[in-house]
This record gives sequence, structure tokens and C-alpha cells, in this order.
Amino acid sequence: MPDAHAQNFIESWVLRILRVPPRPEPPDGSPDSMKTFRAGENYYSWCLLIWALSNVFILGVLIALHFLMIRALRRAPDWVHVLRDIVEVAAWIGFAASVIITFTAQRLNYALRWYMVTDRSLRIRSGIFELQELTMTFSNIQEIRVTAGPLQNLMKLADVEVQSAGGSADSHGSASGHTGRFAGVSNANEIRDLIVDRLRQYRDSGLGESHVAAPSGPGPEIEAARAVLAEVRALGAQV
Amino acid sequence: MTPTPIPDHIAAVERPCPALLKYYIFKAVVTNIAAPVTMLVLYFRYHTMRYRFDTEGIHMKWGVIMRHEIMLNYSRIQDIQLRSNFVERLLGLARIEIQTASSTAGSEMILEGLTDHTAMRDFLYSRMRGARHAHETAAPVSDSLAGILTEIAGELRAIRQRLEQRNA
Repeated sequence: MPDAHAQNFIESWVLRILRVPPRPEPPDGSPDSMKTFRAGENYYSWCLLIWALSNVFILGVLIALHFLMIRALRRAPDWVHVLRDIVEVAAWIGFAASVIITFTAQRLNYALRWYMVTDRSLRIRSGIFELQELTMTFSNIQEIRVTAGPLQNLMKLADVEVQSAGGSADSHGSASGHTGRFAGVSNANEIRDLIVDRLRQYRDSGLGESHVAAPSGPGPEIEAARAVLAEVRALGAQV
Repeated sequence: MTPTPIPDHIAAVERPCPALLKYYIFKAVVTNIAAPVTMLVLYFRYHTMRYRFDTEGIHMKWGVIMRHEIMLNYSRIQDIQLRSNFVERLLGLARIEIQTASSTAGSEMILEGLTDHTAMRDFLYSRMRGARHAHETAAPVSDSLAGILTEIAGELRAIRQRLEQRNA
């Protein structure tokens, strides 16, 4: 396991408190075909970037509110000012606590991601507070989608999504079920090729035509039936 | 083909475990003002919830005023999600969300209050489509047909050879 996923003392303590089970069990399938992918190393930077941007936004809102309140309550009595101070201090403490908690959560969110692929199915585990473990067989996969935004492209990251049938997903295709997301992987093409290759083994995949139209060459039954026919003809010539 | 029987520990599951009621109480408390109503709904949901696992699929029903009954075939399962939040993990619970190919955005069936959810998930996985290779079940049939035809050809050849000897 790469060092990037190793946990320090505080993180393993948090995981114990939150009762997060260790790595998931691989799905049934031949053990040789099992491949486990993890989120790319840049995914952590990506998560931190998103985290920083959203916190800067919240900080901006808090500062704006502070000045707006001062202006709006200029002529208010003293007790309103005291109340405003209390609310503001509470808001700042809340903000500071959420910054610390969400910062740790980013790190764990990155470290606790497993994308397992066997010859028959895949299993995706993610989440800390709300744990999710998705299992999907290849014969139910309808489409594979690789997406990467401009920033993700810069960081050489991409999301691979596999979808099963059904589910009225929104325009981004992010319905709660029906979609397996290999979020923030650095080897999206390798994963895509692997899934496409595994899908090839299931000719009757998805909801399409479930019978292969005609066998390409004569099967063993046809060969045997021809041999019977030849024998019967030879027999007829003898009688 | 005779369907494979259900393992005993799966067939024994009929009712959710008592920890689910504790989780429902927590869930109701979280809703604050609506707590009495939510608690009533969840209380009856817990007490009327019944599962039945047979060789074909899952039957699940609950409700007193609004009765719900869902039947779902194992082979129609599209994907299985095992979810649990912090409180559920404290109580040793998890939800198994089962998706079929219907067009609802949420899950078609949510199995709650199971004591051994990973065993249940593995069981459902073993029954869904594609968990086993197709040729594992299909191979013997075609082999035997070809085998019988080859045997017929062999018998016919023997008869012809005997005829040839007699005519000669």
C-alpha cells in the first residue's frame, strides 16, 4: 500500500471512534483477477482545493455579514449589540470547528476509498460518516463514462462512472444508486480498458438482446449430426 | 433446473432485529417538532415489517394504514449498496439498498435491521445475474447432445461395417 494512504495516530483514533470498518472484503470472483484501485495522489490536493475554496467563500459571507450587521444595527439599543456579539462569536467558533473537522474529513475521505474489480463484478467503498459499499456485476453494467473537468485535467485526475439500468438520474447522472463512481483516479484509461475488457466476456450484458444471433462456426452438435448423416448415407448405399 | 435452496441463516430472517427500533427512536428525535408523528409511523413500520426469502426472490411488507408489499426477483437485481451512518454502526446496523432496472431515483427495496448484513449482502450477490459465469450451468447440456450424436454415429458405423463384411 502506498504511503499516501497510511494513517497517523489521530486518524486511526477517529476511525475507531466512528466505528469505520477496515478495508472491504473483495467480491466473489476468481482471486487472480482481483484488482484494487485507489484514488490518485492528486485527489487529496483536489479535495483540499475544493475544501479551501468553499471555506474561503463561507469566510467571505461571514465577514460581509459582520459589516452589514454593524451598519444595520447602528442605532439599536445596547442589549441588541450584546446579543449580536454573542451570535457572532458563536458563528466564528462554529466556523473554526467546522474548518478543523472538515479538514480531517478530507484526508480520510481520500484515504478510505477502495475500487475493487474482479472478473465478474466490482465493489466500490467510500465515505466516513455515511459509509457506502456498492456491488455491481459486469452483466448489469449499461455504460461507462469517463469525465474530467479542466482543473481535474490539470491535476491528471478523472472520474470513471459505471451505470446499471434504470434510475431517473439528474442531468449529471449522479443518482444515488445505479451509479458506481471511481472518483479521482489517476489511471482512468487503464480502469476503463479493464472494465471494457471484462464486459466483453459478457455478450449478454445489460438489457440488450440476450441471445447471440448465430454461432460463428459449427458447434460440436452440428459436427456430430453431420457424422451421423454421413454414416446413414453410407449405410443406405450398402442395403 | 431445480433452484438451489436458501441457506438456513438467510431463510431464518423474518423480522428486523430490536436494534432497529432504537435507531428509529433516534431518527424520530432528530426530526424535533415532528417527533411524535414520525415515532408513531416508524413504530408501526418496525412492528409490521416482515421479510421472506425464498428460492425465487425477496418478499417484504410493512404498514398498517398504508400497506406496502414488495416482491423482487434475485435475478433482477442490478446493484446492491451497503450503507451505514455513524449511529447505525454504533448499534451494529446497516441498510442494504437494492436497485432493479425500474425508473425510481431511490432504491426499490431497503432491507433494514439485519443482524448479519454482510452475510445477507454476499447471499444476494451470489444470486444476482452475472455473479456466476453462464457456461458453468450451460456446458453439460451441449456436451451431452454432441456426445449422444457421436455415439449414434459410432453405432451406425458398426452396423455398416458388419453389412459390408456380409456382402463381401
